[in-house]
Amino acid sequence: MAKVSLPPKHAERFDTVCQFCIVGCGYKVFKWPEGPKDKDGGAAPADNALGVDYRQQLDADADWISPNMQSVVTNKDGSRHNVTIVPDKACLVNAGMASVRGAGLAQTLYRPDGPTKVRLSKPLLATSADGHEDSSWDETVDLGARIIKAVIDRWGPDAVGMKFFDHGGGGGGFENNWAVGRFFFEGVGTRRCSIHNRPAYNSEVHAAGDAGLTALTNAYVDAELADTIMIVGANPYETQTNYFLAHMVPNLQGVTETLKQSTFGDEPRPPARMIIVDPRRTMTVSAAEAAAGKENVLHLQIEPGTDIPLLNAIARIVLDSRWHDIAFMRERTEWQSFEAYQRASLGVDRPLDEFVDEAAALCGVPASDIRRAAEWIAEPKGRGIRRRSLLHYEKGLIWGLKNYENIAAIVGLALMTGNVGKPGTGCSRLGGHQEGYVRPPYPGGRPALNVDEAVRRGEAKVFWIGGCNPVLTTLRAESIEAALIERGKPVRDALVGSRGQPIGARVAAVVEALKAGGMFVMAQDLYMTKSAEHAHAVLPAAGWGEMNLTSINGERRLRLYQRFMDPPGDATPDWAIMGKFARRLHQLYSEDRNPLMASRFLDYDWKDDEAVFIDARYSFKGDGNDAPEGYAGITYDLLKRLGNNGIQTPVRFVNRVPVGTVRMHEDGKFYTSSGKAKFIPSPRPWPGYAASVARQRESFRFWINNGRVNHVWQTLYHHRHIGFYQDRFPVPILEMHPDDAAELGIAPGDRVEIVNDVGRVEAMAYPTDAVKLGHCFMMFGHPRGSVGDLVSDHVDPMTTIPYYKGAWADITRIGPGAELAANVPLGPRNVAE
Amino acid sequence: MSREDDPRARPTSRLNRRDFLAASGGVAAGAVVASALPSGSAVAAQAKDYPVIDIAALDELAPGTEMAFEYPDVNSPAVLVRLQGAAEGGIGPDNSIVAFSLLCTHKGCPLNYLADRQMLVCPCHWSSFDPAKGGRIIIGQASQSLPQIALKVEGGMVQAHGVEGLIYGRHTNIL
Repeated sequence: MAKVSLPPKHAERFDTVCQFCIVGCGYKVFKWPEGPKDKDGGAAPADNALGVDYRQQLDADADWISPNMQSVVTNKDGSRHNVTIVPDKACLVNAGMASVRGAGLAQTLYRPDGPTKVRLSKPLLATSADGHEDSSWDETVDLGARIIKAVIDRWGPDAVGMKFFDHGGGGGGFENNWAVGRFFFEGVGTRRCSIHNRPAYNSEVHAAGDAGLTALTNAYVDAELADTIMIVGANPYETQTNYFLAHMVPNLQGVTETLKQSTFGDEPRPPARMIIVDPRRTMTVSAAEAAAGKENVLHLQIEPGTDIPLLNAIARIVLDSRWHDIAFMRERTEWQSFEAYQRASLGVDRPLDEFVDEAAALCGVPASDIRRAAEWIAEPKGRGIRRRSLLHYEKGLIWGLKNYENIAAIVGLALMTGNVGKPGTGCSRLGGHQEGYVRPPYPGGRPALNVDEAVRRGEAKVFWIGGCNPVLTTLRAESIEAALIERGKPVRDALVGSRGQPIGARVAAVVEALKAGGMFVMAQDLYMTKSAEHAHAVLPAAGWGEMNLTSINGERRLRLYQRFMDPPGDATPDWAIMGKFARRLHQLYSEDRNPLMASRFLDYDWKDDEAVFIDARYSFKGDGNDAPEGYAGITYDLLKRLGNNGIQTPVRFVNRVPVGTVRMHEDGKFYTSSGKAKFIPSPRPWPGYAASVARQRESFRFWINNGRVNHVWQTLYHHRHIGFYQDRFPVPILEMHPDDAAELGIAPGDRVEIVNDVGRVEAMAYPTDAVKLGHCFMMFGHPRGSVGDLVSDHVDPMTTIPYYKGAWADITRIGPGAELAANVPLGPRNVAE
Repeated sequence: MSREDDPRARPTSRLNRRDFLAASGGVAAGAVVASALPSGSAVAAQAKDYPVIDIAALDELAPGTEMAFEYPDVNSPAVLVRLQGAAEGGIGPDNSIVAFSLLCTHKGCPLNYLADRQMLVCPCHWSSFDPAKGGRIIIGQASQSLPQIALKVEGGMVQAHGVEGLIYGRHTNIL
């Protein structure tokens, strides 16, 4: 009989936040000893921790515990405990809703008798010819630290390359980011750093930064207050789920009327509208139409890479209609930059109709729709009162044709229409992962060094991969894997060959291998990933729930994610791993009588998570000038008391009390030297495709757009092990138009091969009219087929950000679907009827 | 077959039967131990606890038929559908007759059956389920596959006699 155990009244309780997407929904954790059934909670409200009457069928929206919300964990002392993780009704972010990912948080927990038993639990060394052998922290750290020291001493700090998480949520957080940043930037001092999903160490929104805007300007309540929400290159139903469902949808349904009235008085309240710029008709589009009515949703189904002409044409219409916010611009922007922007980006020397018609032709959308978008964003809503428009963007822009100009275009539109720093407005990323960035300054400059190229070219002698999996996610991914294998081999041979010898001889053997073009690879992760398989040293990290960590979500809401269980075996938090290496390097440099280098690895003796949190906190002053993550004055104790609603950063002191920030730039201040925002002019209203991209586009028939899907997180590092998730996407899917599929003789579920000049990958055909003819959409970062194998190494020269969305390829049928995919639903993923 | 056992009794039972079959063919195979298979006795126990009720005469169920009923008690709305082809766990002609709980496993809203698309769709947050694929989620925020009602034919009548998966709003299917 299907059954869940009810948490008893005396169950231990912990507050936490989902480890996955940027939205950061609040969850309640209940933990109690596994034992006789009569120690579980009872069905009567007085007999269970939730106070719910489980003796009868619950109504909709009740505190139901799904079987996926439970697991059994084992403490280090061998005791077993039931764990139940349910969405928190009191959390303002999700109001008691789980996404499909959050509902299964309990399934991701380590259990030695379950599918997550494959978690890394011991340090491993590649000391055998056919794989890894268990090691100890002492042995692994000693070897790794000695090799790093040898490389720094012989080749300089830049020969140490790294690709590490910089995020919040699971595996990240302020604690781990601080330790990683200190180690590489202050300690090693290398510039060959790169961030988990890209080849360099760089902002994904440089243009917003140059304009003085933060990446996350608004509060989620602004989506309840906006007259128009514009979403460019994002699909929040699937990837920022409860921001969409708990904040945007109620507005589209008209149920935030009262809130609007109490906030804005008698200001007109027209029906809320949504503009979605996406080459696909996603579930976000269908759901928005279902919530708001089709007449209040505008879907601009653009051709690849044409965001810039679209956004600039909208801005141009606003300008020529005199809907721009002159007062805002005079007061809060550098006016000269607006003049340059008008000429360069908005083509004011050309007739409006010509400019808009050209954009419409490039974008593949009617000019009338572009005009309508401008009206919905900026036409006064009555009595001359400006509309409140909230502009959001994510990877469609960030990983689009030209990262810098894409972001500059949407920021320009927001500044021109005064939609920053006021209730119901904003210009923000929707975000992917959570944030929690606090590090000393990166020693490199701009544009940042391309670390992937350094790895391929043999300039990195050490490559340390932390909490990411470039073999699946980077561009020209096959070539990175080839480099890891080819350049890793001499080092592996040296380690195998010197087995049992004194440490000095082993390090000397490795250095000889490095001289001969080898590369020493370390991987720090939860699981044996595709990248970790190629590492010489594998370092087991603790995960979510196994350490205290702090992060912020998409509205900068800082909370404490409480530790409620032990990590597996010898796994330990990333900050503690960095500390082990730093302490060893300090010793080695001290023994070597090199006090200068030794001092760079001083002070890593943090006693617990909070000690790291507080150490990093000294980066902030609380004087109103901190970075958006600033958390001056915050302690774990305060966060415990604030629970799942936390406090919104940046925090500043008011009468010595830490006070949060609901929305950025409300005080009219921007992060520029003048304190005013800047328009960033583009060289041209439409930059065109780079030559290498244009060549690929001409040579191959289908555009292989790509991105995330609702059901699974990132590379499926957890989800590939959990039946409920793995079962939905056992192989990557390729959405393609049914007519294209029919022409190629491809049936739903068939195995197809996707090939271009960069590489080849397989996927499962998923015909759907969500995509236009000639367009496809492939699931990103899947362990059984990485779209990164098709992505060229073209990057935006301004920012070193790849055009991940820009791959063109040919498709052929291989045969019927794989057996493991036989039961995968193939129905349309965008029905909201 | 069933995913009916107390999850705590079987350590790896988070993989239900369907999940197990899919996973064992693929990358997760190494993560699954054979003891995850439900035992025969568990299935027998399930049959004993659930009521057996008549839903409709088999010969009344033309293709495309959709019929509401309640199971295992009146507070648990369910739907029986005859699909256009074979369905996982189906009975009758072409194994095309299946039945599911009608309460979304996200927040418990009653689902709509879209006959033309052969999908069950939630009007609240738009989770959708595939009745031909064991109620698996097509897309959406539901926390598990839709509970499938075990059917059999007895004396020309289609009968319900069990449920695979936990019905929304219950800690156990039989309250």
